[in-house]
Amino acid sequence: MKSLRRFLKRLFNSAARRAQEERLREEIAEHIALQTEENLRAGLSPVEARRQAMLKFGGVEAMKQDYRAERGLLFIENLLGDLRNALRTISRMPGLAAVIILSLAIGIGVNTTILSWIQLIMLQPLPAVSGASNFLVVEPRTDTGGYPGASWLEYGALQAQLPALRDLVASEMVPFNVGEKGQTERTHGQLVSGNYFSALGLKPAIGRFIRPEEVERSGTEPVIVISYDYWQTRFRGAPGVLGQKLRVNERDLTVIGVAPRGFQGTMLPLKFELWAPATMTPALLGGARDLDDRTSRAFSLIGMLRPGATREEAQTEFSTAMAQLARDYPEASVGVTGEILPFWKAPRGPQRMLMTGLAILQGVMLLLLLAVCGNTANLMLARGSTRQREMAVRVALGAGRWRIVSLVLSENTLLALLGASLGVALAVWGTTALRIAPMIGAFPIQFQTRVDGLTLTFAILLGVACGFIFSAAPAVHLARLDPQEGLREVSNTPPRSRARKVLMAAEVGLAMVVLIAAALFLQSFRSARQTDPRFRPEGILLASYDLSGRNPNEASEREFAARLLEKMRALPDVEAAAIATNVPLDLHGIPARPFTVQGRVRTEPGQDRAITNTVTPGYFKVMSIPLLVGNDFADMRDKAAPAQAIVNEEFVRRYLNGADAIGHSLQARARSFAIIGVARDAVYNSFGEPAQPAVYFSYRDVPATQGEIHLKTRSGNETALTSEARAVLRGVDPVLPLYDVRTFPQHIERNLYLRRIPARMFVVLGPLLLSLAAIGIYAVVSYAVARRTREIGLRLAFGATSGRVVLQIIRENLGVIIWGTAIGWVLALIISVRAITKGAVDLKAFIGVPAILLSVATLACWIPARRASQIDPMAALRHE
Amino acid sequence: MLFSQRKDGILPVGNQHGGAMKQKTDVLQGTLALMVLKTLDALGPLHGYGIARRIEQISGDLLAVNQGTLYPVLLRLEHEGAIASEWGASENNRRARFYRLTRQGRKQLQVETQDWEQTAAIIEKFFAVKTEDLS
Repeated sequence: MKSLRRFLKRLFNSAARRAQEERLREEIAEHIALQTEENLRAGLSPVEARRQAMLKFGGVEAMKQDYRAERGLLFIENLLGDLRNALRTISRMPGLAAVIILSLAIGIGVNTTILSWIQLIMLQPLPAVSGASNFLVVEPRTDTGGYPGASWLEYGALQAQLPALRDLVASEMVPFNVGEKGQTERTHGQLVSGNYFSALGLKPAIGRFIRPEEVERSGTEPVIVISYDYWQTRFRGAPGVLGQKLRVNERDLTVIGVAPRGFQGTMLPLKFELWAPATMTPALLGGARDLDDRTSRAFSLIGMLRPGATREEAQTEFSTAMAQLARDYPEASVGVTGEILPFWKAPRGPQRMLMTGLAILQGVMLLLLLAVCGNTANLMLARGSTRQREMAVRVALGAGRWRIVSLVLSENTLLALLGASLGVALAVWGTTALRIAPMIGAFPIQFQTRVDGLTLTFAILLGVACGFIFSAAPAVHLARLDPQEGLREVSNTPPRSRARKVLMAAEVGLAMVVLIAAALFLQSFRSARQTDPRFRPEGILLASYDLSGRNPNEASEREFAARLLEKMRALPDVEAAAIATNVPLDLHGIPARPFTVQGRVRTEPGQDRAITNTVTPGYFKVMSIPLLVGNDFADMRDKAAPAQAIVNEEFVRRYLNGADAIGHSLQARARSFAIIGVARDAVYNSFGEPAQPAVYFSYRDVPATQGEIHLKTRSGNETALTSEARAVLRGVDPVLPLYDVRTFPQHIERNLYLRRIPARMFVVLGPLLLSLAAIGIYAVVSYAVARRTREIGLRLAFGATSGRVVLQIIRENLGVIIWGTAIGWVLALIISVRAITKGAVDLKAFIGVPAILLSVATLACWIPARRASQIDPMAALRHE
Repeated sequence: MLFSQRKDGILPVGNQHGGAMKQKTDVLQGTLALMVLKTLDALGPLHGYGIARRIEQISGDLLAVNQGTLYPVLLRLEHEGAIASEWGASENNRRARFYRLTRQGRKQLQVETQDWEQTAAIIEKFFAVKTEDLS
């Protein structure tokens, strides 16, 4: 208590020091005056009386020192003094400071931006939901490695059997056509379980959420919750929205509430706008049987661990439950196990892939920041040597080592913090720029990355760490200074500092590693794209339609597709047309289905599964996938032919042992299909995937509610077909919207978008890093050269040619740079062989990058060297 | 390390705290503080010079030199809240800073007097025992 009070007083006094100084002066004067009078009374002469009084009082300065030490906090006063001094020093070197602050800002800004992404994916996978990182995804897994989702009945069973999870929440992603006939708008929403909002701990912005009892009986509660954004954009935020009817898939639903701001559903990064009770599924999806069909695995499950429970416990319970389900309902659940995973490992969606990319990126960027620090340390060291006299004077006047070190430290930390704050500004700008929602496929995507407390702390810590890192060398250098020598040294020849060279080499080496990593990353990305998809996407226009809400049956779906195709094929520019349920290289993958091949006995437990796509005749022609054996599917209106299937080469290899496929039949989707042909393998889910077994079914046999129209143009100008295609669809059904119209190459590009985020960053950062390295070398060399003006002048005066001088300076510095490059090269080689390409060496990167780096480095040496060699020798000699 | 660079005759000025000296002032400051409190307790509000004189009269040579060391002690006691100060007129009608004991200071004096007496008694006993043992 006493010491706290004393501390506060001292803290206060540190701020207001003038008045206190005055008070002490007055007290001393009064003390001495009183003592002098006393001495006078004792009979001393006036002069002697005052002298004796002063003697008795003792050393005034020493006492003042003690007094000051007691009065304020010396530490804080020194710090303030240092800061004032640092500001003065920095303002005296604006150009240098600008370079340092800017390069640090870039380094820190980029790191902070990446961290905000990692944070989003790992810690805040559900925007607007607090504690979202505690949620786990609960994913059934098939024995072929697919994650098909859970059925509604399965969800009901699991709810009771996973006591380790507090709330198990189910949601199904659905497309909605909102609005009256003829002017519908496509929006995405989720059909959710009754505990959805309460388990997520959400509070409605206005109104209320779906109640558990509204999700008990099928199709009775026509209610809907809308997102905050939807409320703002479609209803201008009017509170009167509650109770209004919203026409969704030709059903009237009552708006009961608005979700909190920022909430975008439970499947990052997809952005949903509407939430309806899961029990509305049949009503909204034209009689879909998602609620009572165990093979319809439409729901995604997430849950939060009960306090005290571990993920392992939950996993064990889940495995047991899934095994029980497999015994009870073999037709739906045989071979289906399950995994409980944190959000950032969620198998569906881009998290997993993004996480790896981001982790690598963060590592690389931290290295980059380290390179920037090396750069700055070098500059500071070069500058430090010009400050030797200043420091020598300080030491001579009695400044201790620690005062010198803290002086240098405060200067550099201030620089670093200035850089960090600019970096935060950059990061804020960067994250906002990246938030702008791109459309991927038909789905709106939003990443709500932002700079918050954690990222801010990270940026500041980075700044302070940088300050310490690049202070270390100059501080040690200056603190070891002998004041005598520092003062005596009038000539400006700097001591040949080893530290400076080592730092320059280290920086170049780091730049080398990062640049090669960038080159390799780009290379692998590009080679993935250049992989032949084994079909021809060029000249194909894709467009989707959706008959759900029309209450279609098999006959009407088949008839719709047949009529649509006839009309499309009649268009003059259409070479071929087809409809399929799935498009290869889709972000969400093509579903795999279980089947059995007649005559094949499976030895291991579980079921055979293959990728399945349902297509109309003409599909293989549109896609330019050759049929190796057999013929295309029978005509859509052919009623005589039996159910048909076409398989691919891998299917034949794997399940028919390479035998002649025709004549075999396979059982799937509760019926039997005759195999009538073999198609060449193609790429289905991602570039570079291993060959996948695939089965094509015919639209004629298994029509579908949704379809992707594929139109192959004659002219190659597929976008010109858009309006014609719309007109054709209107001719068949005047109110059905044609949505998600895109060319096939666009479709592929969009799906590569997420992969492109890290690749794009590398493309931006590679040159940036190169220029940072160049700035570093340039600055160091020009400093060193400027300080050798006299020496260079002397050489020139004695007859050296400017060419020789330039050559010598370049040679001196390039030697060091080559060392750094070589070490970086070897490091990059080791990393590459060990971790990235696993053995293969990308010669282009390993020869090209050093060549570029060395030429840039030479240029960075040459510019200051040339400038120095062109000075007038006389002027140089007079230079102090 | 501190002195190794100063061998060539440039005298250091400023921030120097000799280790040994510091120890002594600490002890001195402790007893000095107690004396200040006792003086103010006995004589009422006094200015710095008055306190110094009183201590000099009683303790002899403790403050015969270096009277100035009193002022940092006064400031510390003020910071701790044991004494308070305000401007007033001295005997010759000049402005002087007068110090007086606060309630907290009085309490502190009591406690410290007790402590001091206890310590003194122990030390006394300790010495007494030692003499007997020796004999």
